[in-house]
Amino acid sequence: MTALIVATGLLVVVAGLLVGSKPLGLSKVLSVLVSPDGKIESILVWTLRLPRSLSALVAGAGLAVSGYLLQALTRNPLAGPDITGVASGAVAPIVFCFVFLPWISSVYHPFVGLAGGLTAASVTLWISRGGRGRPLHLALGGISVSLFLGAITTYVLLLSGPQTPSLLFWLSGGFQGRSWPQLLYMTPWVAVAVVGAFACQRVIGMLALSEHASIGMGLNMNLWKPILLVLAIMPVAGVAPVAGPVAFVGLVSPHIARLLKPQSTLWSIALTTAIGALMVVTADVIARSIALPRELPVGIITALLGGPFFVYLVQTQSFSLKGGH
Amino acid sequence: MTMSAPVQRPSLIAPLFALLALMVLVFLAAVFLGVADLPATDVAAVMAGHGSDQAKSIILDIRLPRIVTGILAGIHFAVAGLLLQTITRNPLADPSIMGISQGATLAVTIFLLFAVYIYDPGSNTLAVLPVAWLPAIGTVGGIMAGGIIYLLAFRLDLGPLRITLCGIAIGAVLHAAAIGLIAGWGSARIEILLEWLSGSLYARSWNHVLFLLPFTVAGLAVLPILRRSIDLLRFDPPVARSFGLSYRKQLSVVLLLSCALAASAVGAVGPIIFVGLVVPHLARFLAGKRFALVLPFTVALGAFIVTLGDLLGRLLGQTEEIPIGVITAVFGVPVLIALLRKIP
Repeated sequence: MTALIVATGLLVVVAGLLVGSKPLGLSKVLSVLVSPDGKIESILVWTLRLPRSLSALVAGAGLAVSGYLLQALTRNPLAGPDITGVASGAVAPIVFCFVFLPWISSVYHPFVGLAGGLTAASVTLWISRGGRGRPLHLALGGISVSLFLGAITTYVLLLSGPQTPSLLFWLSGGFQGRSWPQLLYMTPWVAVAVVGAFACQRVIGMLALSEHASIGMGLNMNLWKPILLVLAIMPVAGVAPVAGPVAFVGLVSPHIARLLKPQSTLWSIALTTAIGALMVVTADVIARSIALPRELPVGIITALLGGPFFVYLVQTQSFSLKGGH
Repeated sequence: MTMSAPVQRPSLIAPLFALLALMVLVFLAAVFLGVADLPATDVAAVMAGHGSDQAKSIILDIRLPRIVTGILAGIHFAVAGLLLQTITRNPLADPSIMGISQGATLAVTIFLLFAVYIYDPGSNTLAVLPVAWLPAIGTVGGIMAGGIIYLLAFRLDLGPLRITLCGIAIGAVLHAAAIGLIAGWGSARIEILLEWLSGSLYARSWNHVLFLLPFTVAGLAVLPILRRSIDLLRFDPPVARSFGLSYRKQLSVVLLLSCALAASAVGAVGPIIFVGLVVPHLARFLAGKRFALVLPFTVALGAFIVTLGDLLGRLLGQTEEIPIGVITAVFGVPVLIALLRKIP
């Protein structure tokens, strides 16, 4: 199943190479891919479309893993980078740095985002008592934290003046003009989280049973909870400076993966990652081809895809809202 | 909100009276203080019916309509929050959490973008923007968002919990769509939208007051009639029905009322977050066991907090005033966090 999704994802990447304001034929793209020749088609493919699609792939994978880890950690189906406030926690300080501290190199923005995301997540988790209460509690706490940070971000944008339009495009999530440097810069953050999730799969599997059971099996909660939280926030912090917050991917991907009934924790991590990547690549291709020559932010497309799915999820009766205990 | 019950009930009049006195005080402060340094004697002269033309225009055309708009909007948000919290049985319901504000935002965004294209695609000036239409458009958008939630709630027969979650999801989708549209198509008009988005009372005129007033009067007039059904909607549907309440009909009426109140306020002043959330809790805290006082307190505190917030925003920011939405967010969050921790 994962292989199928990865294959579909790669197909979408290839399809993404074909479409754009200057459509290219399949044979042309293939020949340029094999032997780049510095002509306009080659530049289109190698420096514009390919890195962009790959960035979308990596970003989607990162956000999905983040959602998976947050949901496993809090044992709460509503956890995700958006609803726990992690995304806005990462975004608000980055916007602040853009506007007021422009001398901070963008290399450090993921660290700023990481600190912000961690703070926001800690506040939300503190409010909802580690997410162990009712799921709604976590959602309401996270939404309130997001609303608060959103108000601050809007105010900073108001003060920023001429930079506002570019910041706004970034804020709604987008991959316009992202090339190899951005891809390279984002990948380690996502890679660490994905590898870390695979490495921790035994712990995650135990957490899925219940907190007491995992303590009974000798799991040191005080050690593993913070580790998993940092792992969950790292990809968001890495992706946010490049692509902005891409809505709903982290929340919805783990649920789609669960619908496919993976056999083990390992497979559900793999499936979630693949689904997230596929979702964002597809959304990116749609975003840049649906309203040519204009470009829509990816965030709109993922919200329009993910939002209705989430509403559907909420009203299915199997969706447990009773909380972890 | 765990306050030990007083041994003997203090009179109902005292707290209400204190609140009224405080309101008058803030109102006067809002009239007398401002960026333009008018001497107190000038202000007093204008209030008495004479005074220089300049002072008159500052007080009567700038400060007063702004304060009155704020008072009305505050009442709207607070009452809408109280109603939503009652009918969804969720202590944290609020127009911004239930997606109503986001619906208004999206409608205003779409309207501004398209109005600009229809009017004159090349112009960058603010004068041609049909700003006067914004309140009405925002109201329609907010009511539509409320309608979507209403349809979902009834078609699928969702409980209060799932209604809230659907509200959150719909709010997020609408918000993403609005921000996306601004980023994709907006240009020089972004600033108006941003200002509106952060909730501002800047440059509100008597027109805004006239727009809000019918909603306020109608809403407050209907409330006493609906009091019994609002009290009963607190319970589970079977319980409420056993009291002889036609649950669906009354729920729809109350939901519509809160949508109309919230949406008209969002349309006029933008989403002022946390007022609808925090004020009903403060009112309940102050009212204690005297349930009849919750509603009057909600109304009074809504007006009071928005006026105070706006005054703070004007004074702290001086010429670059801080939007009231930011002020209410900053001061609302500690209250909110305390509240959330108290809920089991």
